[in-house]
Amino acid sequence: MIEMHSVVAGYGGGDVLQGLDLSVRPGTITCIVGPNGAGKSTVLRAISGQIHPREGEIRLAGSAIHGHSPAAVISAGIVQVPQHNGLFADLTVRDNMLLGGYLIRRDKARLRRRIAELEEVFPIVRERADEKAANLSGGQRRIVEFARALVLEPRMVLLDEPTLGLDPKASALVFDSTRMMRDLGTTVLMVEQNVRFGLRLASHGVVMERGRVLLADSSEALLARPDMAAMFFGSSAPPADPAEPEPGTGTGPGTDPQREDAHL
Amino acid sequence: MTLLLQTLIFGCLIGGVYALMSSGFTLIFGVMDVINLAQGCLLITGAYLSWWMWQRTGLDPLLLGVLSSAALYGIGWLLYKGVVARVQRVDPGLTLVATFAVAVAGEGVIALVFGTSDRSATPSYFNTSFHLGSLSVPKAQLYACIGALVVLGGLYALLRGTFLGRAIRACASSRGGAELVGIDVERAMAQMFALGAATTGFGGAALSVLYQFLPDSQDIWIGRVLCVVVLGGLGSLPGALAGAVVLGLGEALTSTYWDVRWTTAVPYMLILAILLLRPQGLFGITLRREGARA
Repeated sequence: MIEMHSVVAGYGGGDVLQGLDLSVRPGTITCIVGPNGAGKSTVLRAISGQIHPREGEIRLAGSAIHGHSPAAVISAGIVQVPQHNGLFADLTVRDNMLLGGYLIRRDKARLRRRIAELEEVFPIVRERADEKAANLSGGQRRIVEFARALVLEPRMVLLDEPTLGLDPKASALVFDSTRMMRDLGTTVLMVEQNVRFGLRLASHGVVMERGRVLLADSSEALLARPDMAAMFFGSSAPPADPAEPEPGTGTGPGTDPQREDAHL
Repeated sequence: MTLLLQTLIFGCLIGGVYALMSSGFTLIFGVMDVINLAQGCLLITGAYLSWWMWQRTGLDPLLLGVLSSAALYGIGWLLYKGVVARVQRVDPGLTLVATFAVAVAGEGVIALVFGTSDRSATPSYFNTSFHLGSLSVPKAQLYACIGALVVLGGLYALLRGTFLGRAIRACASSRGGAELVGIDVERAMAQMFALGAATTGFGGAALSVLYQFLPDSQDIWIGRVLCVVVLGGLGSLPGALAGAVVLGLGEALTSTYWDVRWTTAVPYMLILAILLLRPQGLFGITLRREGARA
């Protein structure tokens, strides 16, 4: 699906990615983990066209996308859900959803159909349609961001730390919704600080350090490695993480916003 | 009592026109964070264009405001692409100086093209009124106010109900987020700036009918525009409407009950008072992004 070869990229103050090689298979959830400053979010920014690699290449299903504008990358089938300010806070949920289909705005029938389909999958989109996004809780915003990302039926969605700032209940909702995206046929590449959460959610894992890929394997294999435990959990066995939700403990994506509110 | 009512009617009608004249300024600030000091110059350009077309065609100068708006849309686009966008890339704070320079240069160009004599458009309804009992409603002010409210309504509808409007509001909320849904932020900004300039097309047409003007009249008008947006809260379209009515009433009451010579001082006194007493604007509206709410 996505192939990154010898990618060197950064923000002007220096190269964050230093010859990165990464491969993501179609139909998978791949989670990138690593210490702060490893360049995890930079990978997503390079793919989505927010920054352009100085060297190397990025290919989507064989076609080069490095150097493309964000709009061109979206047209190619990749949508990113950013870490912060994903939704336009002053706009209603409906307007946010419509903007998710900005590139197909002239095909009104398709846009209406897609939003109606996503309202079935993510009921909160319909229930809170007329409310400003600023009025939603953190977890609810994430669900609307996910729904918006799917308006264009992308081949791949990039999630940048989707559980950042969320409590366990909302994180569980993110867990279920991400799996649902995968089940709808979308490949997911995500960055996650919560290593156990991310790797349990994903089918594949990538460990990054200093702008390069250190390890890449199935997430089960990565979780089982003793050196991973030492690297990320500070002991030979991963400790229980009270903040980590179990799969399927969410109330379903946005089905009970009031109940979710009570936990946020 | 009649005099008071008459003054209030006059003040409200002028307020409607002031609101349109200020709408472009407040939207450009609300979305782009740019204080466009060339807005007064654009307004006077709109007035000259409408006056010039009226002289040559004899058509209604307010209706000719539609053509002036189209011309000013183009001028606004060029101004954004040629000056504002370039300066913003270097230092966003410098846009204030750059737009001031454009205003000064623009005044010179207008003087070269149209001369430095007083101008005003005088259509058939100029200086005539509708009469309601003992009250009279000046036709020029009424038509200008109705036209201004129609244009403001159109602008509001555009921002709320079209993809261009949503894209502009999205850019005001988060430029990075706008990019990630595929919006060409640079293009949306240019369209926003051009739209803000286009509002001065009809605003200038109204000015050409209601007032005499010279190239340097832009100084007075940028003062009024600043007063309106400071009163309403920078960046707010509804705030601009409210601020404009307050200024219109303030000027009308001053000229009727005090001295007409003090009228031009009213905007500056209001700016000073509002900045000292209530810097967030009369209506408690916060600064940025409210423009995006339209």
